[in-house]
Amino acid sequence: MANYGMLIDTKKCIGCYACRTACQRQNDLLPDEAFIRFEEREIGTYPNVRVQHVPLQCMHCENAPCVDVCPTGAARYGTDGIVEVDQGRCIGCLYCVAACPYQVRVRNSETGAVDKCRFCTVNALNGTKTCTCVEACLTGCRIFGDLDDPDSEISKAIAETGAAPIAGDLTKAKIYYVR
Amino acid sequence: MSENAITRRSFLAGSAGVAAVAATVGFTSFGAWQSAQAEEEATPGRTDTVHTLCNACSSKCGYTAYVVDGKLTKLIGDPNNPNSEGHLCARGYGYSQIAYSKDRLTDPLKKNAQGQFEAISWDQAYAEIAEKVQEIIASDGPEALALVQDPRPSGSYYCNRFIAALGSPNTYTHGAACNLSKVSGITQAIGAGDWVSDVENSAMTMFIGRSYCDGIRPSQVAALKRAHENGAYIVMIDPRCSNSTVFADEWVPIVPGTDLAFVLAMSNVLIKNHLYDAEFVAANSVGFDEWAAATENCTPQWAEKITGIPADTIERLAAAFAEAAPAASIEPSWRGAYGCAYANSGETARTVALFNTLLGSWNQPGGALLTSGISAGKLEDPRFAAPPKIEAKKLGSAEYPLASGSMGSAVYAGEMAKTGAIKGMFFYYSNMAAGYSNPEYLANAFANLDLMVVCDVQMSETAALADYVLPETSYLERSELPEFGGGKVPYVALRSQVLDVIHPNTKSCDQIFTELAEACGVGQYFEFTQEELAEAQLNTVGLTLDGLMKVGTVQFPEKAFVYGKQPTFNTPTKKVQFVSEACAKAGLSPYPVWIEPQDPVPDGEFRLVGGKQAIMTHTQTANIPELMNIAEEYGLMRPWINPVDAEALGIKDNDEIVVENDLHSGTSKVRVTERIAPGVVYLPSHYGCTVPEQHTAYNKGLRIMDFVPFHIEPAYGSTMSQNTTVKIKKVGA
Repeated sequence: MANYGMLIDTKKCIGCYACRTACQRQNDLLPDEAFIRFEEREIGTYPNVRVQHVPLQCMHCENAPCVDVCPTGAARYGTDGIVEVDQGRCIGCLYCVAACPYQVRVRNSETGAVDKCRFCTVNALNGTKTCTCVEACLTGCRIFGDLDDPDSEISKAIAETGAAPIAGDLTKAKIYYVR
Repeated sequence: MSENAITRRSFLAGSAGVAAVAATVGFTSFGAWQSAQAEEEATPGRTDTVHTLCNACSSKCGYTAYVVDGKLTKLIGDPNNPNSEGHLCARGYGYSQIAYSKDRLTDPLKKNAQGQFEAISWDQAYAEIAEKVQEIIASDGPEALALVQDPRPSGSYYCNRFIAALGSPNTYTHGAACNLSKVSGITQAIGAGDWVSDVENSAMTMFIGRSYCDGIRPSQVAALKRAHENGAYIVMIDPRCSNSTVFADEWVPIVPGTDLAFVLAMSNVLIKNHLYDAEFVAANSVGFDEWAAATENCTPQWAEKITGIPADTIERLAAAFAEAAPAASIEPSWRGAYGCAYANSGETARTVALFNTLLGSWNQPGGALLTSGISAGKLEDPRFAAPPKIEAKKLGSAEYPLASGSMGSAVYAGEMAKTGAIKGMFFYYSNMAAGYSNPEYLANAFANLDLMVVCDVQMSETAALADYVLPETSYLERSELPEFGGGKVPYVALRSQVLDVIHPNTKSCDQIFTELAEACGVGQYFEFTQEELAEAQLNTVGLTLDGLMKVGTVQFPEKAFVYGKQPTFNTPTKKVQFVSEACAKAGLSPYPVWIEPQDPVPDGEFRLVGGKQAIMTHTQTANIPELMNIAEEYGLMRPWINPVDAEALGIKDNDEIVVENDLHSGTSKVRVTERIAPGVVYLPSHYGCTVPEQHTAYNKGLRIMDFVPFHIEPAYGSTMSQNTTVKIKKVGA
């Protein structure tokens, strides 16, 4: 069994939203339903300023607050370390939306159920080799893979870059950021 | 899927109604029945893939569309397409949803006496348009007809052929509001309208007002990233700290419109210190000594006062260029700073090309590459022969003699509509009324026309002004002529139909202009199908339509660019022209000298600059909910001002502000950011839609062109899109 995670190198992110819109197409999301959100930071002051874009999505935490608070078991740990939402069991109470410290769970305005990044690689078909956001990224700033495999590209990249979860040990998050 | 989409069930249920309508206005669609049939018969879960070309901007990236049970799902960039290199941008994914937009035009429309649109049949539209065309030709000659288009593979061919068949020379692209000055100015220097800066292999590349990461072509983003990783020194000259600065070593803010002074001063440094490639210049150019003498006073100290860039920075960057040459260049740019922006835009472009000549970087690895393209050969079939040659010159070619002949000055055509010299205008996929110059001026000008016809997929500002609106299928529902492209490796790519036609009464551009030509009595020039023409064009380069459809893009490595090749300069002198006779004839200095970009900026006013965002193209994408949601979520419609200016005006981030000048006043939330130079307001160029029929885009954000007067760049014919100033205040202040 794998333990999937992702690395995002913010030094290469240009804040272009390609990952977000590609994800909407791959996962057939509504126009107002997006699994990736962005934060932008300005570092320094004019004219010595640089910009940093930080894409955020479900961190697939090993101790996920959303799973803890979900009253119906709709939010749950699936296989390979992927946090899932069983759409049929979700009652739309939004506890998980309130509990997620990364603010990356979104309500489907048609069904009322909550959804979020699915690490879609696991059911990727038809020409998609890995998560759509990873494939779509114009600058290759994302790596997806098995965190438990020391020889995986992602494990090596984390070791090499010192990438770390966005909020330290707030949760056991599985998206690692180079910043 | 759109609620207007036809399934077999709804088609059958509604067929009585359709038949009734057909009886009165004569339209029905076998294609719709076919597609309904196909939808019903398709196996559930069936996936089809089609190689096609994006239409979200003019890069036309190749991708594979996945269609599941007749519905478009994912889009994956084709690795063999040199523009996409396996990727699409946010616009590409988002704009694909235009096919399913609730705001699509679905029937031909005619404006009635009350100014309201009424649906009419295609036959009626063609007949009435043709009658007016004949009246105009009879009274004023065919030169009183004009057409404006935003070039697309089929559109360029069919629109231009249609107007030529009617006997008019007046075909214009959107260039006057895009890259006309850049292309035309560069042409005066080197005899070609563009080059490819070999960014990724360069030791140094400078971008002026262009951001690969905001106006995105995926292959260029990838090249910039590789350049950064390869250690190239990347410099961005821009009043705005663009997203491309992520891969830059240096962001150098500049006073908008003063790039010419900056490049003149860098040239001065190279010449004064003998840091230029004297051997290359001596062997390959004319007029260098005259220009060198003219730039003697263009010192870095002089330029500092104009550009706001410290003299020692100018000295340092010029010296760094000399050090890096010939693996160095200034990137040619596109619309950005001097595509169509100021009174000095064409001359800025000319100077940039001359600067690269000083570096001796033409065709050198890492330098400025004069690549070539591939085009269809001569077609033997007489059906494809061109209409008779037109003796009359394109309107504007005398007044703006430096304007690229293939683009022309569309804004001058607007002026001629106002004066009455042009009486009938056609627009294909062009939202001139909102994007090319002052919208109020253009609306008044177009109101003067006896005939205004717009072909588009949604109700644009331009369409709203028209007498007749012809609804086109979206780019996903039609095939087009092959796209012949250039670059390091020339290629041919194809837009193929991905989806069945969704609205049965829409037609593809080739069909519309063929049928319109027949109605106008010039059908003899259109006695072929688009597929027949595509096949014939492809056969001349050794390809077949079926073959190209299977792969989407074919490259021609045997025609690839070769480093070190002696550059050929297709100027009148066959050399790089530091002096240009044509420029002198057009009333400019024979060699480029400093020209003030605009009237002096009054105290307390701001220079206004536009510029692209990665999720939008012109005004065509703002009505896509996926993309507009991003703009709203992240406040992308807000104008930017510097914190120093904000503090002086008592403005805080996200405050509601008034942006105003003599022409217009509007309110918006503001973004206070370190990413913009003081004294400058950046306003993105995509928003402020005024057409209620665009339910997503309507009334959101400010429209930059409302603040820009109608005026035309001398000699070059561009719209001077940033030649204006505005005042800013907090609402209620």
